[in-house]
Amino acid sequence: MAAPGSKVTGKDRVFWGVGIFMVVAYALIPVLWLVSLSLTPADELGGGGFWPDNPTLENYTGSETGVFQDDQFPAALKNSLGIALIATVLAVILATFAAYAIVRLDFPGKNLVMAGALAIAMFPQVSIIGPLFNMWRDLKLFDTWPGLIIPYMTFTLPLAIWTLSAFFREIPWDLDKAARIDGATPFQAFRKVIAPLAAPGMFTSAILVFIFAWNDFLFATSLTSTNRARTVPAAITFFTGSSQFTFPTGQIAAASVVVTIPIIVMVLIFQRRIVSGLTSGAVKG
Amino acid sequence: MTAATPAAAAATREAMTKKGLSARARSERKLGWMLCAPAVTVMLIVTAYPIAYAVWLSMQRYDLRFPDDRGFVGFDNYSAVLGNSLWWRDLINTSVIMVVSVAIELVLGFALAFVMHRAIFGRGLVRSAILVPYGIITVVAAFAWRFAFSPTEGFVNGLLNTDQSWFTESWSSYLVIILAEVWKTTPFMSLLLLAGFTLVPDDAVKAARVDGASASYRLRKVIIPLMKPAILVAVLFRTMDAFRIFDSVFVMTRGAQGTENVSILGYKTLVSRLNLGLGSAVSVLIFVCVLIIAFVFVKGFGTNLSQQRGEAP
Amino acid sequence: MPLARRSRLAALLVAGALAVTATSCGGDDEGGTPVLKWYARDEAGGVFGAAIEDCNAAAEGRYRIELAPMPNNADEQREQLVRRLAAQDGDIDLMNMDVIWTAEFANAGWIREWPEDQVEAVTEGRLENAVESASFEDRLYGIPLNTNAQLLWYRTDLTEEPPATWDEMIEMADRLEADGEPHDIVEQGQRYEGLVVWFASLLASAGGSILNEEGTEVTLEEEPTRRALEVLRDVSRSSHAMPALATAQEDQGRQAWESGDSAFMVNYGFVWPSANQLAPDIAEKMAWAPFPSVEPDVESTVVAGGFNIGIGAYGDHPDLAVEAATCLANEENQTRNAQDAGLLPVTEALYDDPEVTEAEGDDGVKLFPYAAEMKEALDRATLRPRTPFYNDVSLAIISILHPTADIDPEADVDRLREAIEQALKGEGLL
Repeated sequence: MAAPGSKVTGKDRVFWGVGIFMVVAYALIPVLWLVSLSLTPADELGGGGFWPDNPTLENYTGSETGVFQDDQFPAALKNSLGIALIATVLAVILATFAAYAIVRLDFPGKNLVMAGALAIAMFPQVSIIGPLFNMWRDLKLFDTWPGLIIPYMTFTLPLAIWTLSAFFREIPWDLDKAARIDGATPFQAFRKVIAPLAAPGMFTSAILVFIFAWNDFLFATSLTSTNRARTVPAAITFFTGSSQFTFPTGQIAAASVVVTIPIIVMVLIFQRRIVSGLTSGAVKG
Repeated sequence: MTAATPAAAAATREAMTKKGLSARARSERKLGWMLCAPAVTVMLIVTAYPIAYAVWLSMQRYDLRFPDDRGFVGFDNYSAVLGNSLWWRDLINTSVIMVVSVAIELVLGFALAFVMHRAIFGRGLVRSAILVPYGIITVVAAFAWRFAFSPTEGFVNGLLNTDQSWFTESWSSYLVIILAEVWKTTPFMSLLLLAGFTLVPDDAVKAARVDGASASYRLRKVIIPLMKPAILVAVLFRTMDAFRIFDSVFVMTRGAQGTENVSILGYKTLVSRLNLGLGSAVSVLIFVCVLIIAFVFVKGFGTNLSQQRGEAP
Repeated sequence: MPLARRSRLAALLVAGALAVTATSCGGDDEGGTPVLKWYARDEAGGVFGAAIEDCNAAAEGRYRIELAPMPNNADEQREQLVRRLAAQDGDIDLMNMDVIWTAEFANAGWIREWPEDQVEAVTEGRLENAVESASFEDRLYGIPLNTNAQLLWYRTDLTEEPPATWDEMIEMADRLEADGEPHDIVEQGQRYEGLVVWFASLLASAGGSILNEEGTEVTLEEEPTRRALEVLRDVSRSSHAMPALATAQEDQGRQAWESGDSAFMVNYGFVWPSANQLAPDIAEKMAWAPFPSVEPDVESTVVAGGFNIGIGAYGDHPDLAVEAATCLANEENQTRNAQDAGLLPVTEALYDDPEVTEAEGDDGVKLFPYAAEMKEALDRATLRPRTPFYNDVSLAIISILHPTADIDPEADVDRLREAIEQALKGEGLL
């Protein structure tokens, strides 16, 4: 779409070209910097430039310094993917039920649900780490996948419920009414008619939930203790240099690049959905 | 069944009202509760219980290193925190980061949203690029900026031709922390603002232009007033989020050089010193601060939260 | 009703998922061999893995040690351990404890006292300081695994003789600066434990101490404390303070050193193999000397670091854990730790053992050419205060001293005393 009411001139093209270039540079320079660091051999750290003179893959594949040399990072990658995906699926399913009820049904307490969700989104998570740790130990959930899936699911439910409610308000609900008139139970109406219409919204909130679960550091570092469930953001701080005092810059950079790749792939493929997910609820009532 | 008969359906329903409503309302109510139950249960178990526990802990003298020396102290922990200049200094530090970064994000986010909204080509590219900072792991982003500004392995000093040690002074530490925060979260702000742009009808802008209004007049008098709801929501969510900033400060300075904020203070007291009583009091106070911010926005600016969307922390 | 069926299905799925993961948490092998979890930072060169293999073989099926890797940063290691110990977690059988944690852990009852009949096996032949660091109130709570102390590193192409005192070092740096030579002094000035090490070493070298012997009262003798603070300030304010001193940890120091801009560096032995590998031209001109004195003609005293292995109070197999710890910290394993990961041994005899002193890296460079000087430093060394409140004391010291360039020796002696007194009560925000 061109700017309203004007023809595209050469000057416009230059203006927008520069603007777009600046935005892309803004977004990508830190990522390129991580890539560069991850390719920098240890004896070139401190060179002061942006790009290493002798790029190397030793931080990825090196037999001594590569992040894949032992099971720590591969295991963390597997945990991160599995935990984030399961948490996403569960959160979206629960949120879909709740959002449907909130948008479509009249029942006392629905404002309470919305307000409660908002309060949860605001609570400082650091303060529930202690109690949660104790509960998880009693329930044998410490250092397990469910031990992280449950908090991720919980803390993304507000986001998912609010996003899905916004989407559900857009759905032509008369279809649902019609189905119910035709004798369908409310649940059948929901499943047969509304669910297919709601799928795009569910998919969008799934992406947002996944990003949250993929991002978390605090729970991951507090509620896990071994490769069984430790995720990447926590595992990064467990990387060790060649001595107690050596900081593993190269390995951290390499691991960072690896975990950033899925995010880049997702934003490239699902750009439209993420943007609509983040914008849809913001202004529509 | 088709969608062609909404009026008829409504009429039929009207007709059924007298006999069927109470039964239908009851079943609707029951279904509503059932559908919400799983989500509500999970949220209650994972947050309400620990939160209540935190409030209870905040009224105890309870240091995990000295489990025997434990007892109820009422509001002593709160007066210890509120009576300490450290709390107030950290609260000011937190507010500085919050106000400065949200202000910058608003301006920058507006510009980004404008580019995304109006660019005559490459809009998909811009939107994808902007989502990278949004999606990247906060800890990873903080490491990237920390390395970039490091005087030994960083590139920023080479670029600016200086040998500034960014994390050794207060002002420059703030600069880098705010820069990292702005970089990571402006995309979120700009997407909410982008939604606001769609509220501005092209006709209104066109009409103003025909009337000879200057670009800045159009922005101030036409575009911004129309976008006000979106701006308020964006600022509200980012403000509450910025108030709880933790990961990036933790990675970059751990609170050194006067950058300690209330979250770091809470973490230090709870996790590092194991003083659960005092630390819980700090956490509860942080929560209260966030509630106050939300209250000010809702009452002061009339943001209607119930119509807006929540952003997870 | 379909809804009911579906939610029951969902509940089953969740419960199933929980059960699957929960069952994998069992402590014992199928064969019934007790598994001992060893919480430790996984040192370089796979040395701990090799030690575990040897000890497991020697145990002949009586126990099996498994490593539970810890974070890189010592503060984070402590946070992880205490969170679990405070919750009486039985999963920790063995743990590597920084020497400064002993009092806190022992006082809280998180670690077991060493069995009396095994004490001699631990203390015999081991460095006095190392044994002391594993003790609290005259009882032994762990077996020393490795020790550490800082040396002064200097460059023979810049100064033929190392400076004997801090004042002399600053003068030498002045001259180097005037001659246009590298003149930076590298230390650890970041707001973390390393700054406490610097201060405590200066204070001890000036003849002072932070707390009394029992760790109950603040001592901070007026004159030595002021001298220590003066040195901190003078170095930090001089034009020789390394750039970014206020954020420098050991590794930033190493990098600054390897870049060739520095004339002097106080740091641990890991800088030696690193320089040989990453900056051979610097390593050629690199020499070492004791930590500089504060007063002329008084030998310096540094604070010793290192790790001890403690036995978790809530583990199921304390006797086996003691046996396993004794194996993990035996001379063979200490020797390998020294050879492959640069960890300094705690058994005195190893400092005369060519296996250690003559050990060479892959590149044929001697790993511990400084062994004799290090041993002397360790013999003179002292320990940081041993009090259950050490963590609070450390936070208090850092909060007063950082950034070191802003120290006001006269006023800060009293501020330091007040802050540490408050920390010893465990009250208030820090």
